[in-house]
Amino acid sequence: MKNNKPIEQSPECAPATPLENHANMLLKGIGVSGGVGIGQAVVIERFTEEICPKRMLKNDEIPPEVARFEEAVKAAAEHYRQIKNQVLSHQRLQNHVYILDTHILLLEDRMFFEGTKQAIATERQNAEWAVSETISKIMCAFDGIEDEYLRERARDIHFVGERVLRILMGMSSESKIQHLPPNSVIIAHDLSPADTAQIKGESVIGFAMDMGGKTSHTAIMARSLKIPAVTGLENLSSVTQTGDTIILDGTTGIVILNPDPEMLFRYRQRQELYRKYQLSLMTYGRLPAVTRCGSQSVRITANIELVDEIDIALSHGSEGIGLFRTEYLFLGRPDLPTEEQQYDAYRQVLMHNKPNSVTIRTLDVGGDKIALGIHTSHESNPALGLRAIRLCLERKDMFRTQLRAILRASVHGNCKLLIPMISCLTELQATKAIIKDVQEELTAEGAEFDRHISLGILVEVPSAVAIADLLAKEVDFFSIGTNDLIQYALAIDRVNEHVNYLYDTLHPAVLRLIRQVTHVGQAAGIEVAMCGEMAGDPLNVPILLGLGIHELSMNPLSIPIVKKLIRQVRMDECRTLTDRAFQMQHADEIHSYLEGWMRERFPTDYFFD
Amino acid sequence: MSDDNAVEATLTVGNQLGLHARVATMMVQAMRNYASKVTLCKDGVEVDARSVLGLLLLAATPGSEILVRAQGPDSKEAIETIGRLIQNEEQ
Repeated sequence: MKNNKPIEQSPECAPATPLENHANMLLKGIGVSGGVGIGQAVVIERFTEEICPKRMLKNDEIPPEVARFEEAVKAAAEHYRQIKNQVLSHQRLQNHVYILDTHILLLEDRMFFEGTKQAIATERQNAEWAVSETISKIMCAFDGIEDEYLRERARDIHFVGERVLRILMGMSSESKIQHLPPNSVIIAHDLSPADTAQIKGESVIGFAMDMGGKTSHTAIMARSLKIPAVTGLENLSSVTQTGDTIILDGTTGIVILNPDPEMLFRYRQRQELYRKYQLSLMTYGRLPAVTRCGSQSVRITANIELVDEIDIALSHGSEGIGLFRTEYLFLGRPDLPTEEQQYDAYRQVLMHNKPNSVTIRTLDVGGDKIALGIHTSHESNPALGLRAIRLCLERKDMFRTQLRAILRASVHGNCKLLIPMISCLTELQATKAIIKDVQEELTAEGAEFDRHISLGILVEVPSAVAIADLLAKEVDFFSIGTNDLIQYALAIDRVNEHVNYLYDTLHPAVLRLIRQVTHVGQAAGIEVAMCGEMAGDPLNVPILLGLGIHELSMNPLSIPIVKKLIRQVRMDECRTLTDRAFQMQHADEIHSYLEGWMRERFPTDYFFD
Repeated sequence: MSDDNAVEATLTVGNQLGLHARVATMMVQAMRNYASKVTLCKDGVEVDARSVLGLLLLAATPGSEILVRAQGPDSKEAIETIGRLIQNEEQ
């Protein structure tokens, strides 16, 4: 079947008219990464099929043409590997590395690789023609897919084909993206993740694209890089010329081309406001979390999962690590990490946070998070299955290795040990017996470790709340894991679209469970921390202070705003507010009460639009 | 080759976004560690577990059922690995 569909779908828009003299041309897209950018447009030219040469090959031209194609694929793979290495060293983009692996695998995929070679050999098409034909056919196959996300993957094979074509045609892969003047706003029909990854942060102050939505990889990367971005602008790239002045509001999705002085002035003010707001927040990050009445009862710490996140945590003002999720050492690899590899990671986190504490959570996999090196059997209800401490008690070898690594690292800082998913006393006692055994083993070997390491449990199963008084006698601290606790207590799967509307942090039951834990903590004289998402939302903070939580551990980016709020409130008003909230019957009622209180107390501080 | 090592299993896709790019990539990479021939079959379409494009074109949305067939010396382990990948709700 012949398929003449162009490889680059043309945008649905009127033909571009010369608009460079039109002042204040306003376009509305989707704001996907917040902030205001004002700068000079750099239009990344589109690669169109029209410039792709097509000719029939003579017999003797076929083998060298196949070889030329194979060389181009090799060069493209090398190009992606290089970008991958750049991305690996860029800590904010590390989660996106897999996209480049996907691109490399697409290059090697039989359907593309063999398909193109066959088109050269049997259809006598030159390499460029054969590549664009093969890509068109593959993209066509994606058209039939109903699921939007999976259908969108056709873009990935398109990007890969374009890369090979550029190489075949001797077009510089050093696109404009690599040498940008300062204050550049990148304008493109669509940017491949590989292109985005190459952009040097300093000179780029914004992205605007014709295609894409909130979930496109480029949007996700822009948010990681904290650069304003607007997508879904339809025909922006065809009406903009490189050098045009452009305003980009990544919060509202508005883009203004060639603004007049008045418009420019307005947006400079808005930009300043946004910048000041962000800056002032960062200032709060550096200040201590002391309430207006002088109470220093709460510590603000960060949740991290990678050693590389320490910098972000510290720069945002964390006073230690309240949750170091160790499972990332185990995920995405075919085997288990060795004791030395783990020891190294724990030691680094501990050393960099000295003298502040680092709470290391033992392996929390199984169920929804699965490490390849751990063989688990299929479970029909993984959330209630063999996971976290249950899996560790079953796989004692693996658990002991982790405990050895943590204990050995404990001498390098202020280390706390956190056990996830404890649901009964037996489990906790079994865990403690293993810890004791490992400690004795280390002592016998003459290894150094902190003999008084603080031991805590993650309170996330409702049964642990119910028997908190029994568990408190066995541990040095509690940490409330709200994400799972809410899920288990309300019997709601957060990712199930039919019931997730019922997931409510401020459900009276959730607040009562938390209060029960803090009461037990006070009676037993042990600290109670919180490390779920609930802890990082300023709206919840007054109630959490009122309940007497000792440590709030959160996404590092939330620390400045939470500290700001803490510094503005008094403990007595938090307690009064908490008492009022506990008299209410519905989550909605509590929610609007808290929001009303915040609006009244701080009319402009927490509702920046 | 004897049929002794042929294994098959019907699995349900647990990934939030279906068998998408990240999972497909991990699967092709994981299959490098196995010698068996492994295919995934859905709605009568059978694809090679070593082809990213094939896996994406299966259009396996969350909850869809997939018949996995493996044949070779490590067929059982290969199927277990595939099972872990496509039943992983986090990915």
